[in-house]
Amino acid sequence: MPPSPPATSAAPQRRTNQVLLRSLAQNFGLVLAWLVLIASIAIYAATYYAQLSALPGSFEITSTVNNTMPLVLTGLGQAIVILTRGLDLSVGGIIDVTNALAALYLGTTLTSVVLGTIGILVVGALLGLVNGALVAIGRLQPIVVTIATLSIYQGLAIMILPQPGGAIPPAFSSILVNSGAPWALVYCGAFALLWMVLRRSRLGVSIYAVGNDPASASANGISVVRTRLIAYVLSGVASAAAGLFLAASATAGDATAGNSYTLTSIVAVVLGGVSLFGGRGSGIGAIAGALLTTMIVNILFFSHVDPLYQSFYEGLFLVVAVVLTMAIGRLVKRRRT
Amino acid sequence: MTEPVPAAPPAPPPRRPFLGLNAERRHILYAMAAAVVVFAVGAAVRPGFASPAGISAVLLVASFVGLVAAGQTFVILIGGIDLSIPAVLNAAAILLVTSTLGDDSRALYGVTLTLAMGAGLGLLNGVGVAILGVPAVIMTLAMNGIVEGLMLGLSGGLTCQACASYAPPVVQAAVHGTVFGLPLALVIWGGIIIVVSIVLSFTTFGRRTYAIGNNAVASHLAGINVPLTTILLYALSGLFAALAGILLVGFGGQASLGMGTPYLFESIAAAVVGGVSILGGRGHYLGVAAGAISLVALTTVLQTLNMPEYGRDILYGVVVIALLLAYGREQDSV
Repeated sequence: MPPSPPATSAAPQRRTNQVLLRSLAQNFGLVLAWLVLIASIAIYAATYYAQLSALPGSFEITSTVNNTMPLVLTGLGQAIVILTRGLDLSVGGIIDVTNALAALYLGTTLTSVVLGTIGILVVGALLGLVNGALVAIGRLQPIVVTIATLSIYQGLAIMILPQPGGAIPPAFSSILVNSGAPWALVYCGAFALLWMVLRRSRLGVSIYAVGNDPASASANGISVVRTRLIAYVLSGVASAAAGLFLAASATAGDATAGNSYTLTSIVAVVLGGVSLFGGRGSGIGAIAGALLTTMIVNILFFSHVDPLYQSFYEGLFLVVAVVLTMAIGRLVKRRRT
Repeated sequence: MTEPVPAAPPAPPPRRPFLGLNAERRHILYAMAAAVVVFAVGAAVRPGFASPAGISAVLLVASFVGLVAAGQTFVILIGGIDLSIPAVLNAAAILLVTSTLGDDSRALYGVTLTLAMGAGLGLLNGVGVAILGVPAVIMTLAMNGIVEGLMLGLSGGLTCQACASYAPPVVQAAVHGTVFGLPLALVIWGGIIIVVSIVLSFTTFGRRTYAIGNNAVASHLAGINVPLTTILLYALSGLFAALAGILLVGFGGQASLGMGTPYLFESIAAAVVGGVSILGGRGHYLGVAAGAISLVALTTVLQTLNMPEYGRDILYGVVVIALLLAYGREQDSV
């Protein structure tokens, strides 16, 4: 909680500065995430130029952002759950299940594709609902619950699609990923707008309130159980959308395609400045974090780092980012008290 | 033996405990009973399942799970969790074969090096959690990524020449050999069950572990060096994962990628089945060992009934959630 401003007659100019400073301090993680993202894009362009003597064009931008879209979606879902002081380790499993379902049941006609897409999003919501019910109503620890459901969902995915394969209707792929222009950037912008709406809605306020202090939130008439349930359901829907997107870009299904997203979604959220202790951060930060994660991989690629080392760097960045944000948070707190 | 119960104000007379046992010891009993029941069912479905040879085969596989679960139990007892086990176990298996190249004369060096690596990685986890204040989930998840990346990168995706080596015959004999008709790996595990149980129940280190799990702040005020104990416990978890990696590669002969993956969930499941509270401070390794045996026995029964691999994943998840609902609920409702 920021200290209340001095109640004296400060000049309006000074007050504006204070308000600006305070909002900067509160959104520090978000601002930092975007600054680091911009810096990483610059470094990416530089390494790209050094390798190919040209700047990345429309094709590179499109493929980069398309590759990031599943992570953007999972990161957004993960951010909502983490904001309520939860954690969803089952996102990878939900992507697996929905990816497998997409490969088998999207069909080829327009109606089957539309119905299939809706059905798969509903499946994601149901899988998220299971997590949410166990955490919120069953009062179980989110970490263990979602590790257990991760195991269940991964098993289900392999049951549905034992071997990678199946087919994705070409029209579905071309609408989502092969549009020749970086449409995914527009999707990211739309998600950011959607987040701003959510943030100001009743649900958004509940999510932040529950994450900051469940007891006070409850005392103020917010249903903690319902808020947590909805958070996990939204995470399930977001992961299902990620599974669909992944299927569209791979044009086939793979029941293990989502496994890496459990780690990377948390990396994206943390790099995006969302506090793991709940109540602090923004989905817009998570979008930046997801793009940043991809940028790091791209920079490593153009710097000729063996891709086998990828998870090494992801793990390292995760620890460094957490330690740094905590150190900065402590510094900011000390400055203000 | 029992936990020092914080002096409570005069409470309503407690329900008469079942067989005079407190909840924790009852959980050990449940886990053991579960193992017996699974063996009985197995024998009914497939005659010969509960024969000495059948039991010994199940116990051998359970010993790997049990060893990993020992480390996981240490960490869960202080309210933490170790998600880095899959990568540490796998890296240990690869380090053992690449450092010994299947040569008996280098076995001692290789085993020492591998155990030191496991303990060292666990130590880093502990430093991250206890000193840098990184949440245990994040620290150990990140460590899993770091170790996995290093393992893949350094071994070229397990394509290096040394990676194809076999475990030294001594190590293989340590798993497959027998003393007095008992598999050596089982004897090792039996020894570890005794040592871990004694350490947890009768030493100051064990007392400190339970104390931190129950209330870290109170433990600190009582003069316990909380960071040091935490670091040691994570180091032990890494050590046990590495030990399991060594025995597994001795069991199978060669290292492979992904051999550690099932053990993360199995170790947590064994701890939960054995009555260890995921919130810390409660549970005994004896229960965990029984939990490991019943889970492995259950898997074996299902395998003889031709249940596919994925069925095990689904079943483990369901069993863990059911048990958590039965006795893992958080006490305070919000």
